[in-house]
Amino acid sequence: MPAPQPHRLTEGGLIDRAQKLRFRFDGRTLTGYQGDTLASALLANGVRLVGRSFKYHRPRGILSAGSEEPNALVELRTGPRREPNTRATTIELYDGLDAASQNRWPSLRFDVLAANQFFAPIFGAGFYYKTFMWPTSFWEKVYEPAIRRAAGLGRAADAPDPDHYEKANAFCDILVIGAGPAGLSAALAAARSGARVILAEEDFGLGGRLLAERYEIEGRPALDWVDAAEAELEALPDCRIMLRTTVVGVYDGGTYAALERVNDHAPVPPEHEPRQRLWRIVAKRAVLCAGAIERPIVFGDNDRPGIMLAGAVRAYVNRFGVAPGRRAVVFADSADAFRTAADLADAGIAVAALVDARKISSPATQAEAEKANARYFAGAVIERVQGGHGVRGVTVRTADGEAERLECDLVAVSGGWNPSVHLTTHLNGKPKWSERLSALVPDALPPGMNVAGAASGQFGLSACLAGGEAAGAEAAQACGFTPKGRSFAQASSECDAASPIWQVANGRGKAFVDLQNDVTVSDVKLAAREGFRIPEHLKRYTTLGMATDQGKTANANGAAVLAGVTGRYIGAVGTTTFRPPFAPVAISAFAGHHRGPDFRPARLAPSHQWAKEQGAVFVETGPWLRALYYPRRGEEPQDAVNREVANVRNNVGVCDVSTLGKIDVQGSDAGILLDRVYANTFSTLAAGKARYGVMLREDGFVLDDGTTARLADDHYYVTTTTVNAVKVMQHLEFCAQVLWPELDVQMVSVTEQWAQYAVAGPRARDVLQAIVDPSFDISNDAFPYLAAGEVTVCGGTPARLFRLSFSGELAYEVAVPARFGDALIRKIVEEGAAFGIAPYGTEALGVLRIEKGHPAGGELNGQTTTQDLGLGKLLSAKKDFIGRFMAARPALTDPSRPSLVGLRPVNREDRLRAGAHLIPKGAEASAANDQGYVTSIAFSPSLGHWLGLGLLTNGPQRHGEVVRASDPVRNGDVEVEICPPCHIDPEGNRLRV
Amino acid sequence: MSDRTLRSISALAGIAAPGRYGKTEGEPGVIISELAGLGLATVACRKGQAAALSAKVKQAYGVDLPASSHVAQGPKAKFIGYGPGQWLAVSESLANETLAGDLMAKLEGLASVSDQSGGRTVLRISGPRARDVLAKGLPIDLDSRAFPLGSAATSAISHIGVQLWQADDTRSYDIAIFRSLTESFWRWLTASAAEFGYEVAPAE
Repeated sequence: MPAPQPHRLTEGGLIDRAQKLRFRFDGRTLTGYQGDTLASALLANGVRLVGRSFKYHRPRGILSAGSEEPNALVELRTGPRREPNTRATTIELYDGLDAASQNRWPSLRFDVLAANQFFAPIFGAGFYYKTFMWPTSFWEKVYEPAIRRAAGLGRAADAPDPDHYEKANAFCDILVIGAGPAGLSAALAAARSGARVILAEEDFGLGGRLLAERYEIEGRPALDWVDAAEAELEALPDCRIMLRTTVVGVYDGGTYAALERVNDHAPVPPEHEPRQRLWRIVAKRAVLCAGAIERPIVFGDNDRPGIMLAGAVRAYVNRFGVAPGRRAVVFADSADAFRTAADLADAGIAVAALVDARKISSPATQAEAEKANARYFAGAVIERVQGGHGVRGVTVRTADGEAERLECDLVAVSGGWNPSVHLTTHLNGKPKWSERLSALVPDALPPGMNVAGAASGQFGLSACLAGGEAAGAEAAQACGFTPKGRSFAQASSECDAASPIWQVANGRGKAFVDLQNDVTVSDVKLAAREGFRIPEHLKRYTTLGMATDQGKTANANGAAVLAGVTGRYIGAVGTTTFRPPFAPVAISAFAGHHRGPDFRPARLAPSHQWAKEQGAVFVETGPWLRALYYPRRGEEPQDAVNREVANVRNNVGVCDVSTLGKIDVQGSDAGILLDRVYANTFSTLAAGKARYGVMLREDGFVLDDGTTARLADDHYYVTTTTVNAVKVMQHLEFCAQVLWPELDVQMVSVTEQWAQYAVAGPRARDVLQAIVDPSFDISNDAFPYLAAGEVTVCGGTPARLFRLSFSGELAYEVAVPARFGDALIRKIVEEGAAFGIAPYGTEALGVLRIEKGHPAGGELNGQTTTQDLGLGKLLSAKKDFIGRFMAARPALTDPSRPSLVGLRPVNREDRLRAGAHLIPKGAEASAANDQGYVTSIAFSPSLGHWLGLGLLTNGPQRHGEVVRASDPVRNGDVEVEICPPCHIDPEGNRLRV
Repeated sequence: MSDRTLRSISALAGIAAPGRYGKTEGEPGVIISELAGLGLATVACRKGQAAALSAKVKQAYGVDLPASSHVAQGPKAKFIGYGPGQWLAVSESLANETLAGDLMAKLEGLASVSDQSGGRTVLRISGPRARDVLAKGLPIDLDSRAFPLGSAATSAISHIGVQLWQADDTRSYDIAIFRSLTESFWRWLTASAAEFGYEVAPAE
């Protein structure tokens, strides 16, 4: 049976006492209520110690009640859903929640590495840099692993996250960030005008600070006003309220990133629902109403559990109905914080004293103290804290220098408030120092953004309501809407200016500036002494302001301490840059749907389903999945490839070549454009013919190759390599739109329209004759090598037929609209069975072209010229074309450039490896002797040994010479004979039969 | 010779079966249907023929060619602008390759026409949550103030290029995607629609 909740107040709060929730913390079963956070539920159960600190393993409790929490980091959930470093203050309690404290061993109360704090002098600022410098080799093997074990915080899950995450886009006229008094007022003013409004709120309820305070608006409880505002906003058709949604980044063009925790408040998301959703919100205007974050005061042992921000104390008492302690001391330097005393006293919590750090005694605060039955110490500070695992008492240094010890288990502390300026700085804006508030306030704002309420430095409630309304109306007007009349809500609380003391001088114990990173006053002083005197340097050297909270409660105090040490005015010290995200975002949210097989889209060829049925092994080529080979039962991959190659050479094979880029180029000037783009000529190509072509880049190197057919006088069908399809399309579009807009040329990609199959081998015509309708004569005379035309197949299906060959065999390519692609491959295989047809994949395609000596991917590598590839004769001397002039540069026409050769092992048993470097026989394998390299290799079943293509200095003049192919990486060093690239039918007779 | 003829096959064959999926309570939030058999063709204006082309299209198909990303609906075909002087023509009555043939004949010398009827999968996404599903991938605003009836767009969803136009005024959208990417798109679409409950309607 879980214990009752000893620190739960008997009444009050916004929790639903009828809905009891069970949860576990470090294995203990506890209970809370609907409306609790994990932090409030832990406090209700009297749990004050919730974690150990990063470096010194100091016991830590709960400091805040919001996303700024530096201490109360826990591992949430178990197994594959375990999430480290989640803030207990933002975790909405749910039934069955399971959390564990972090960074402690063997247990939270007894932690071995807590001994670190006694070695604090070793672990001072920059200790990583100083301590582990030598010997260098120790860093990777000894120091880093040891540090990683000792430091760091929670453990990531060690299994894939089973939940779904997604991304989404939203659009609005006005985005209101934060739904406190200012945000609600802004949203009301904007939405009433008819504008499309999104109101994004990090919390799971609207109201912001109003949820935590006992304010009144228009003479009634502020929460009544919140309820009315919510009801009105929900009734307006164009207002969208997004709860549990943190705006984490501001980007160009009115774009905002927001993380919606859709189902973090459920143990497992309901079926079909995502856990989190990352929003891209595009807004014409934004009103930032992110509120303010309270800052602690730096004093000795200010990290003890039980020391809590005063605003957080009020939140736990008023919102959650929890007594965070039994006997409190309030320590602050502004009148606002001493309101805490009344809230505590009214909840029945004893208030021992109000310790007022202001120099001048305040009658109002004195009256607060009397009302709360508390002692009042004006001009006093807390100098020491008693208690290790939790506060047991404090020592107060009074104005007249006396030390007085007070018993207490709760210290409500406030050093004033910092406006949440973070989002105003994401586009490089710098906040400015406000003397009146002793805080940074927004200065230059991102385009389209307005700030209202506490985020702008308007701390009074009336000012928040009025400022929010004005900002909302202003934004509506900017979007072309007419704001309705103003409401001028009047409210109870007003706030005075601050005169913070920042830190208690001469205190005892460690005085923490940054609780999450264990950065103390001494660390800041040391860093300053060592020259790290600006906040950015201080951050890198001491880690002040890093990690999950990004110094939300630490940066201001850090700047103040730094200012004190370096004798500067705090306003002149500056600040670090706040970058997105404002709050931590899980990588899964950034990935969204794109995980595993959905990492990126895959393009499937028309024959994909059929190939899958044949047991094809697929390979990624660019975005496509292509069949690599089609192994038969019990067949090794190499055997399958050998069989497929031999079948093309001896019978006939079929290969899906639909992935090649296909471009319809039309218009009366189509031939002129192609002449200018290709190195060879296409305007002279007769209709009904195809031609191989090479295009160059502007710099004279080869861009791509492929065959182009002329279907009609004003219609060419250009094909590109699979990988360069997009690049070539862009290139042609650029040429047509920018270089020669005067030409009458239209082009469109038809890659997707045509399913295209290569049918190759001595029996190819036999197969095609069974496919192409008999009214079309495809005999060698009527349809010779390089013929092209429009035909029909299989009883009337429109098709394009080309007599092209990449394999060196008699071959055709036949294309039909892609919707018939699946049927056509089945029909080709069916009709081809009598002729011994077998499908072949890209691996066999590669072997066939290497046997034939055709350059492809390994040779068309962006560093080769037409001469290098043995294609120099293609360069037309009769016309200009892109790359012509630059291709004539001396270095590109140097005859000693590495040029295409064939390679075969002297010892025919040897295996060749692509990438091996070609070295003269007998010479040392060094860079100085490097004469080229092996670009492509294959085992040639036709020849019975390995074959290669390579680029070799003076290659074509060296046929017959033996060189070394040196491959030190894979221990390959074989002698190879240089030969012509083409090994099969160099005269090309087989193509023409 | 009927056994020789080739059977047209949808890129969704074996992937999308009619039925109710995702959340099962209540009415489906999204209805997905494939518009199979559409005639699809790209039409690009020849140099200097803009006026003649517009006149001819008006005469032959009864529509004014839109000058920007809009849909012009005619009795036989709609024309969707996707670039300067470029349109995607879509037709139900001039099915499959017929549309391109018809256009080539009627617009000869005025426009370059390429058949695309085999190269696209066209899906109609409708239902009360259609916009919410599309918002999970489409980076443009579909609110009727920003994307009124007759609007069209070329954009990307889940890294997949799409052409999209509003089908009618009941928040229903037609989306054309490249055929080869149909399965990847379908995985995104169904994952995104599951929380609203979706129905795969039989192909139209």
